[in-house]
Amino acid sequence: MLKVNGNMNNSSDNRFDFIDVTLRDAHQCLWSTRMTTAMMTPILGAIDRAGYAYINILGGAVFDVCVRYLQENPWDRIGLLCDHLQTQCDALTRAQSLYTFELFPDDIVALNSHVLARRGIQVLTVYDALNDNRNIESSLRSGHEAGMKVNAMMTYTLSPVHTDAYYVQRTRELVTLTADFISIKDPTGLLTPERGRTLFPAVVQAAGCIPVQLHSHCQSALAPEVYEIAMKSGFRFGYTATEPLANGASLPATEDILARARRLGLATSMNDEALAEVASYFHWVSERESKPRGEIATYSADLYEHQIPGGMISNLRSQLDTMKLGHRLPEILEEVARVRHDLGYPILVSPFAQYIVTQATINVVQGERYKTIPDEIRKYARGYYGRLAAQPSAEFLERANIDPSEYVTEAPAAHLEPAIPRLRAELGSAATDEAILLAAFYDRRLIEPLRNPAAECRFRTTPLTELVGFLSNRSDIEYARVRFAGTDMTIAA
Amino acid sequence: MAHEHLTYDDLLRIVELIKSTEHFSEFRLKVGEIELELRHRKSGAPPPVPPPVKGRVEPAVPKPVEHAAVPRAALATWPESSVVVRSPMIGTFYRASAPSARPFVAVGQAVKPDDIVGIIEVMKLMNSIPADVHGTVAQILVDDAATVEAGQPLIVIQPDAESERQYE
Repeated sequence: MLKVNGNMNNSSDNRFDFIDVTLRDAHQCLWSTRMTTAMMTPILGAIDRAGYAYINILGGAVFDVCVRYLQENPWDRIGLLCDHLQTQCDALTRAQSLYTFELFPDDIVALNSHVLARRGIQVLTVYDALNDNRNIESSLRSGHEAGMKVNAMMTYTLSPVHTDAYYVQRTRELVTLTADFISIKDPTGLLTPERGRTLFPAVVQAAGCIPVQLHSHCQSALAPEVYEIAMKSGFRFGYTATEPLANGASLPATEDILARARRLGLATSMNDEALAEVASYFHWVSERESKPRGEIATYSADLYEHQIPGGMISNLRSQLDTMKLGHRLPEILEEVARVRHDLGYPILVSPFAQYIVTQATINVVQGERYKTIPDEIRKYARGYYGRLAAQPSAEFLERANIDPSEYVTEAPAAHLEPAIPRLRAELGSAATDEAILLAAFYDRRLIEPLRNPAAECRFRTTPLTELVGFLSNRSDIEYARVRFAGTDMTIAA
Repeated sequence: MAHEHLTYDDLLRIVELIKSTEHFSEFRLKVGEIELELRHRKSGAPPPVPPPVKGRVEPAVPKPVEHAAVPRAALATWPESSVVVRSPMIGTFYRASAPSARPFVAVGQAVKPDDIVGIIEVMKLMNSIPADVHGTVAQILVDDAATVEAGQPLIVIQPDAESERQYE
């Protein structure tokens, strides 16, 4: 079952291995996370043969969109994918926040680890949006107890306080916490080759024998170069996506990074024929579903100011249009950069990306800065979610008017009561662990539709099958005859 | 396209051809091994409703916000001495912290400046709205869960007279 054999150290064997994000972050960035299980299943065989070390199938947005918009039971999707993939599957959570923006007590975090492991997840990947590693301790502990490897991510951002020394310090904490992998996660694609040349060797060295992974997006178009620096610096793994769902706000294309790894003389285990099959399938599915394919971004210096992840900019644009504020986007983006500075450089990643953008929008619309401060931002400033990277500005603190007694210094989950006893009492003793977790995350109204029978999934398809399906779904065609290699088929209205 | 297997590349090209010839009534294609013949429905004939495709869910398109209904607020009047709590932003007004919770304030209730009188949800974040004044809630102008505009009056508060307050 283990695809990655032998020594996994950073320096070992001059290897570079790949982690697939096609079924998770790629469609999160390009399709607003709307890839259904039925779109995935016909191509699982080819993805499995492609030679990935791990396949990332779950993240906070995937879980949330399954429940809220696709009405798919996320646990069933996880189980089905794990059952049909030989390659080890990886699930990402927002650590103490799991799939949402709230903080959950340790008992919920631990139960989630066990439920994921039971469904077949073998690697638990966690990040904390503030890089406060106290928030990933309970995921690490319970992930290990459940028999999973744990990949701890540090989120990259550009600020006066997020120096190489800062990331080395975070890496040392993760070594002490016995993470099995350490990743640098760059949600907005801010890393440059120049920064990589100093940051990457420092992190690899601090990680010691723990393999290091890179997870970076292509918004600045520099990511493929950055991956190359990572390979040269001794990173062991890179997260990538199939070519049609790579680039732009998504991650680099597996095909592109593979070619670079080969040119550097690194050993890889990828299968070109299977990769080509996966790519051509997703080219077709993008067409069939009228979804965009990833396009290589053009470099823009503005990105380094506002730092908003690509998936979120398109979301913001449509939110502002709904509020008839679309024309103020440039002003809001400028204000985002200032709010980020004022708040002590929280990273533009969920949930803080949302917080910063909303505060900036309110500031611009009200025409007076921090006249209204969302409750979540006050909580952040009080340290409720974890340690701040830097002290907020005097202007913000003066407007927020936080009482010194309100500051939280203990670990964020320390003040949270266990939730399972209450949920078990509410749901009854027959409730499954999966039902307990869904009830911890969502209103009953959202959970109810998940009981409906799942859509039928096919585990193989061919271009001919897809052609016939396409023709029969078109209401403007009343007669179609297809002849191909001995097949002669007529459909008529 | 002249090979043994139809590929996804072939399929993409065929579909492109079909889509670009929609205005013709007939479509015939023969390339290599594949032959395709299509007849389009005559315009005017109502197309049958296609059956719902299982497993495919359309993305939730955000509906444009209806122009905020302001019937009561538009008609409401209040004395000049009143303090009007207004919405800081376009958003959704909530009178309570949760659907089952008691409203923050009711008409006739005394409030202090830091008391929360409502919540405006803006882009999924909650903004607690304080009374900002010592006084009594005189009118609540907006229904729970209503969409509100920036600056829209929400709650009217009759401030306490200066003398009453100093004995608190």
